[in-house]
Amino acid sequence: MFHVTFYLRRLHSVVGLLAVGGFLLEHVLTNAKALGGPTVFNEAMAMMEQIPHPIFLGLEIFAVALPLLFHAIYGIYIALQAKNNPGQYTYLKNWQFALQRWTAWFLVVFLIWHVFYLRILTKAIGGTPISYELLHSYFTGSPLVAVIYTIGMIAAIFHFCNGITTFTMTWGIAKGPRVQSVINVLSMLLCLAMSLVTIAFMAGYFVM
Amino acid sequence: MAEQKKVRFIIERQDGPNEKPYTQEFDVDYRPGLNVVAALMEIQKNPVTVEGKKVAPVTWECNCLEKVCGACMMVINGRARQACCSLIDKLEQPIRLQPARTFPVIRDLLIDRSVMFESLKRIQGWIDVDGSWEAPDAPRQDPHTAETCYEISHCMTCGCCLEACPNVGPQSDFIGPAPTAQALLFNLNPIGKYNEPNRLNALMEKGGITSCGNSQNCEAVCPKGIKLTQHLAQLNRDVNKQALRNIFNH
Repeated sequence: MFHVTFYLRRLHSVVGLLAVGGFLLEHVLTNAKALGGPTVFNEAMAMMEQIPHPIFLGLEIFAVALPLLFHAIYGIYIALQAKNNPGQYTYLKNWQFALQRWTAWFLVVFLIWHVFYLRILTKAIGGTPISYELLHSYFTGSPLVAVIYTIGMIAAIFHFCNGITTFTMTWGIAKGPRVQSVINVLSMLLCLAMSLVTIAFMAGYFVM
Repeated sequence: MAEQKKVRFIIERQDGPNEKPYTQEFDVDYRPGLNVVAALMEIQKNPVTVEGKKVAPVTWECNCLEKVCGACMMVINGRARQACCSLIDKLEQPIRLQPARTFPVIRDLLIDRSVMFESLKRIQGWIDVDGSWEAPDAPRQDPHTAETCYEISHCMTCGCCLEACPNVGPQSDFIGPAPTAQALLFNLNPIGKYNEPNRLNALMEKGGITSCGNSQNCEAVCPKGIKLTQHLAQLNRDVNKQALRNIFNH
């Protein structure tokens, strides 16, 4: 027997946590280097440039872009199956359920813009390497962009951290209510920590 | 004599399956211990709205009147629950009654819940027996498993969990928490476990357990206190193992 829905759902879950989530962690950490100033950030960029171009592009396509596309497209299908009702049933987990979907909708739009502008238009077509100076002028030139980027980052972080909790339920790892709430608290703490780091490095562009 | 206290009901009504819903308000004499079903019976005796208009009596379904049959499930003040055990004293007034629109509405508060029966058939919610003769040496069941089974067997297919679940409704094909959890009840049975692969494979189909989005509303609204999220997590474990068996045993 081959249950297409089952394997697609499980793939969506594992891809979201490992591939997309893993990339998000890397993304937050690399961006956090901006806290160290232009030199530290640009050194991190230079280090990534050391990876041979075909390998780097291959990683970008197969480890980042394709998993993200699959997660987004199948995720839209999943999100369409929900009628969010946290206003009616105001339980915390139900709010998290709704937020998981609302952040997803926001991220679909945000990521299309973000990837298209910075990765495709600026880097690939324009040939401008991503540097501290570029981001600095991009964000300080338009604080609204910086605010949207911060919201986008926090939305992605929440989606990822809440995804850790639901992942453990979906895979039957966390079964009982106690372990489920412990994992929920831990992943929300991770969400808080990653969000604070994000706010810090985004604010850093305006302070430094 | 003191003036008779009244309880105001705002009822969402509908004359037929495809008719437009509308609301009507009724006042019912208050008395201690009054519940929603008893109040609906009063309205049935004297179906006159607050404007003094005589209307058709409100239709709803009820049976046992003691939270065992599940028939009187409706949305009371925005929350799916049993009308028979909803005491007026514990509800905010005016009391708003609506049909559980996750299910097709037949008339007023009366809904068609047969979809849950179809789902129970789909997950093979029964135990095959070899024959109708007596089985003197019935297989034993350990008391801890029996306790879990007893808990899940309290399910009265009232549909509260389906009404509260954001993933159940016309927009989705999810069979809902109640029928899904029943698969575990029959899988835990010493004879029922022989058909466990059939039930798990049925749950892996479209609309099965993979449609669960972990909002956990089901457990929060279950009038019988069934630990649905725990049972769903156990079934998630079981379907994963079944998937491995499907891959490596064939």
